[in-house]
Amino acid sequence: MVLLRMRAAGFDGAGASVGPLTLDVRAGERAALTFPTAAQASLAAKLAAGIVKATFGSVAVDDFDTRVQSAHCKRAAAFVGHDPLSPPHFDFERYVLYRAALWNVDPAHALATAQLAMERLEGVHEAFAYPLAAALISNPKLLVLDRPPAVYAQQIVDAAGPRAMLTTHGGARDAAAFDDAAVWDRTPA
Amino acid sequence: MTARAFAAIVETRLFAGRRVTIAACAAAALVGVLQPRGIEAPLFFCSFAGIAMAMVQSPGRYAHLDLCEQSAPLFGRELARAKALVPCLVATLATLCYGVGALAGGASWGAAPRLSMALAATLAATLTALSASVRRGSARSLYVLLSAAVACAAYALATIGAAAEAAFCASAAFVALRQYGETLARYDPV
Repeated sequence: MVLLRMRAAGFDGAGASVGPLTLDVRAGERAALTFPTAAQASLAAKLAAGIVKATFGSVAVDDFDTRVQSAHCKRAAAFVGHDPLSPPHFDFERYVLYRAALWNVDPAHALATAQLAMERLEGVHEAFAYPLAAALISNPKLLVLDRPPAVYAQQIVDAAGPRAMLTTHGGARDAAAFDDAAVWDRTPA
Repeated sequence: MTARAFAAIVETRLFAGRRVTIAACAAAALVGVLQPRGIEAPLFFCSFAGIAMAMVQSPGRYAHLDLCEQSAPLFGRELARAKALVPCLVATLATLCYGVGALAGGASWGAAPRLSMALAATLAATLTALSASVRRGSARSLYVLLSAAVACAAYALATIGAAAEAAFCASAAFVALRQYGETLARYDPV
């Protein structure tokens, strides 16, 4: 099953542009996209997660069009931004409960899931680990990461488990780090 | 949107902006002590505080909260209602602090109706200013000017009668909240 389908998709406006991008990410697959600039990498990740709507082409997440069914897309795909978490969100429990409320996830289940993810993210700085752990509480089918730190590639892949993952990068070296850490797996999750 | 999500957005944004809230309330109380009579001081000062608090909700100020809300399965109009409540709560709190300051400064309880008129104008100006928070350049400046104009118009109507002012503020607030919701629904966080 194709979880992310981009067809000549892109964005042009507000002084930023990216695309056209054509890509399929199936259940259990991982894909890394490299861009010449960090801004394009960030924009592409937001396009894939349905946060930014494509101005041309089409983007579908779990067969939902991001332009018209963005809430459905955001249930299927979790987005992790590039910037580390900053205060006042350094209280893990408070942060996870906030995210659980936004995704309407049971608080106890959210805390247990996030705690499990944190164990897999051992060694990752909390500022990077918290957003990723919190993104997993809704059990997304697809994980979209905007320029994840290459140094934590192995832990991120471990935490993501068998779910599909798309990472965008502002340089080929970072993308290669994720390729090294990854096991290319086409088996459905 | 669930009530839980709504409450979480409001609570987290209030917590993130607690220092600005405390500063606005302290300043409003001080204005109340210094100028305890008349409607001008609470109306214009609290409207200013509300506009400032609305601008604090601009994208980038609390970047991670913005990203969490934008990546959550919420609709723009629902998000607008939750985000709009934050500066409105702060503006209401600032107006109440002005009232406390005014009482300390020698005003009587008879000033309460004037305070409620000031609160109506403050909320209308605050909601109008929210549309400026998601715009840039001249459009942003125009919305700030529009919110100041709403406060001025409310003041002009308040001198005629409370009912006219209340009707104007309710209409302006309703239109402003709808406009903000439509803007957030179309907003691309690039």
